Amino acid sequence: MAVAAVHAGGIADHIHPEPQGFVRRYVFSLDHKIIGIQYIITAFVFFMLSGLLAEAIRTQLLNANGGFIAPDTYNEVYSVHGSAMVWLVIIPLLTGGFGNLVFPLQIGARDVAFPWLNMLSFWIFPVAGLMLFSSFLMGAPTAGWMEYPPVSLQGAAGTSMWAAAIFLVGVSSTMTGINFVVTILKMRAPGMTFTRMPLFCWGQFATAPLLMIATTALAAALAALFIERQFGVPFYDPTKGGSPVMWQHMFWFYSHPAVYIMILPAFGIISEVLPTFARKPIFGYKLIAFSSMAIALAGFMVWAHHMFTSGLAPFLQLPFMILTFAIGVPTGIKIFSWTATLFGGKIHYTTAMLFAIGFVGLFTLGGITGIFLAAIPFDLHVHGTYFVVGHLHYVLVGGSMMAVFAGMYYWFPKMSGRLLNETLGKWHFWLFFIGFNGTFIPMHWLGVLGMPREVATYDPQFQFWNRFESVFSYLMAFAILIFFANVLWSIRNGKRSGPNPWGARTLEWQIPSPPHYYNFKHIPTVYGLPYDFSQPLPYKGLEEELTDSPPPVGVGAH
Amino acid sequence: MAVASLAHDAHGDADQLYIETRELRLQGFLLFLVSDCVLFSSFIFAYLYLRNSGQGWPPPGIHRLDVAFAAWNSVVLFGSGATMHYALENYKHGHWMRYMWFLLATIVLGAGFLGGQAYEYTHLIYGEHVTWSGSGIFGASFFTLTGMHGLHVFFGVCYLSVLVLQSAAGVYTRGKYFGITAGTLYWHFVDVIWVVLFSIFYLI
Repeated sequence: MAVAAVHAGGIADHIHPEPQGFVRRYVFSLDHKIIGIQYIITAFVFFMLSGLLAEAIRTQLLNANGGFIAPDTYNEVYSVHGSAMVWLVIIPLLTGGFGNLVFPLQIGARDVAFPWLNMLSFWIFPVAGLMLFSSFLMGAPTAGWMEYPPVSLQGAAGTSMWAAAIFLVGVSSTMTGINFVVTILKMRAPGMTFTRMPLFCWGQFATAPLLMIATTALAAALAALFIERQFGVPFYDPTKGGSPVMWQHMFWFYSHPAVYIMILPAFGIISEVLPTFARKPIFGYKLIAFSSMAIALAGFMVWAHHMFTSGLAPFLQLPFMILTFAIGVPTGIKIFSWTATLFGGKIHYTTAMLFAIGFVGLFTLGGITGIFLAAIPFDLHVHGTYFVVGHLHYVLVGGSMMAVFAGMYYWFPKMSGRLLNETLGKWHFWLFFIGFNGTFIPMHWLGVLGMPREVATYDPQFQFWNRFESVFSYLMAFAILIFFANVLWSIRNGKRSGPNPWGARTLEWQIPSPPHYYNFKHIPTVYGLPYDFSQPLPYKGLEEELTDSPPPVGVGAH
Repeated sequence: MAVASLAHDAHGDADQLYIETRELRLQGFLLFLVSDCVLFSSFIFAYLYLRNSGQGWPPPGIHRLDVAFAAWNSVVLFGSGATMHYALENYKHGHWMRYMWFLLATIVLGAGFLGGQAYEYTHLIYGEHVTWSGSGIFGASFFTLTGMHGLHVFFGVCYLSVLVLQSAAGVYTRGKYFGITAGTLYWHFVDVIWVVLFSIFYLI
C-alpha cells in the first residue's frame, strides 16, 4: 500500500471526467479504447477498398494479355493497393488500433500519456487516407508503393497527393510513437517492472521508437519528392545532378524498419494468444521480449538489402547481407519459443488460436524466403519478380494480417462485451488460410521462372498458375466477407462474453468488458508475470473491479 | 541542467499531478526533438550524398558561400542561445524582470539571425543568381536545409513571443513553468542544428 500512497493524487489516479454526449464519447474521444476502435474501424474500411484493388489486380491477371483494365490504370491500381495496405491498413491496425486499445490496459494505466495528441493522431489518419484514394481523381501514382524516381517524378499529379498523404500518415505515426514510448516508460502500474510487462506491451515498446525515428526519415524523402515535383527543385532527377538511388536509400531506411513496425506488434499479439489457449506459461519470456528489441535495433542496419540491383558498391553489399541473415536469429528464437509454448500444452482450438498457429506457420515461410532474398546471388536472380511479391505477402498477410485477425477474435469481447461467432470464425479461418496459400504459393515459382512484378500482362506460359492464384484470391476475399458479416452480426447478437471469456491472465481481462472510461477502479499493484497459469493472479487491488461499487473520484481535469 | 532540476521540485506550488504531468511532457518533448533531429539528419544525409556523387563542390559555376558573414550571423544565433539560458536560470531563481529582459533579448537576436539569413538569401538570389530550383543540387540542398532551419528559428521566435505575453499575463508560477523549459530546450536544439549546418555548408 505504501506504493499506492506515493501515487495518490498523481498521474496514476488522474481520471478524465466522464465524457458527455455522443460527440465527446465516440467521435472526438480522448479515451484510448475508443480511439483504438476508431483506428480499427477506419483501417478496415481502407482494407476493404484496397482489397477491392487487389481483386482488380488478380482479375486483370486472369489472362496473359490482361484486358480487364488498361495497363496505365493497372499501374495506378497496384500502386495504391500497396500504399494503402501498408500505411492505411496494417500499420494503423497494429499500432494505433490494437496498441491503443490494449496496452494501456495491460500496463494498468488509465490512459496514454497524451490523450489529446492521441486524438489528433487518429484524426489525421482518415484525412490522409481519403487524400491517398482521391489521388485516383487526378491520376494516381504509377510507380508502385515504393515510388522510385525517376518514374515517380514523371507520374501524374496524384503522385504529389500520394506524397502528401503518406507524409501525413507519417506525422500521425510519429505522434503515436512518442505517445506510446512515454506511456510505457512512465505510466506502468506499481510493481509492473519491464520484466513483468505482457509481451504485447514489449511488442509496442519495440515498435514505438521505430514509428518515431524511421517515419521521420521517410518524411524527409517524401518532402523532397514533393518539392521536386511541385517546384522543380532537383534532388532525385539525374539530369540536374540529383540521384534516384538516394531516394532508394532514404525510402528503405524507413521502409525496412517499417517491416518491423508491421510485424513486432503482431509478434506481441501472438505471444498473448498462444499461452492463453495452450494454457501454459509462454516459453522464454525474456528471450521473446529482448529479441523484439534486437530486431528493432538491427532493423536500422539492413535497409540496403533491398538495393542489391541498384548499383551498390560490392563491398557494401556483403555486410548488409550478413546483417540481414543475423536478423533471422532473434526471429528464429521467437518461432522456437512459440513452438515450445505449444508443446505439451492443453490447446484450445478457438478461432483466435487457429489464426495464431496459422501465423506461426505462414510467417515462418515468409521469413525463410526473406533469408533467401537477403542472399545476394539469389536476390540478383529474383529481384523485381513475383518471388518478392510472394515473400512480402507471406510476411504481411500470412504474418501481420493473420495476427490482426487473431487479435480481433481475441479482443473483440473486450471491445464490445460480445464474442465473435466461432462457427463463422472457423469458416473465415479455413477459407482464408486455403485462399491465401493458393494465391501466394505459386508466386514463388513464377518468380523463379522470371515473371516480373508490376506488369499488366505476362508470358502465356504462366497463364495456368495465374488463373489458379486469381481463383484462390476470390476465395480469400469471400473469407473476409464472412469476417465482416461475423463482426456485424456478433456486435448485436453475439454471445455475451463476461469480463474474461478466455480465462486469460493479463490485466485487461480482470476488468469488465467493455471497460469503463476510467479503466480501473483502483490502480492495481503487480507482483509477477501474467503467464503462470498454475499460480494465483499476480495482482492486488482488483477486488472491486467486478462489483457494483461506485466509480473512482477523479483528481484534476483536462 | 534543466532536466536534472525538474526531477525534484523544491518550489512549493507544484502539486503531485503537475510534477508527474510535467515529467511526461518533458519526455514527450525530448522525443519530439529526437524525431525532428532525424528529419534534419535525413536532409543532411541527402545533401552529403548528393555533394559526394557529383563533380566536386561547389558545382561548376557557383562561388563558395560567404563564410565571414554567416559566421557573424552564427554568433548572433549562439548569443541568443546564451541569453535564453540566462532567461531560464533567472526565472528559476525568481528574478522575474531579468528573465523578461533576457527573453526579449533572445527574441531580438533570433529575429536578427533571420534578418541576416534574409540578407544572405537576397544576395545569393539576386547577386549571384543562385536559386532554389535553378541551381542544381547546390541550390536545392542549401536552400532546403537552411530554409528548414530558418523556419524552425521563425517558429521559435513566435513561440518565445507567446511566452512573453503568457509571462506578462501571469500564466507561469514559481513551480509551474514547463512552457519556458520547453522553449529553452527547443531553442538550444535549433542552435545545435545550426552548428552542424554551418560546418557542413560553410566550413567543409
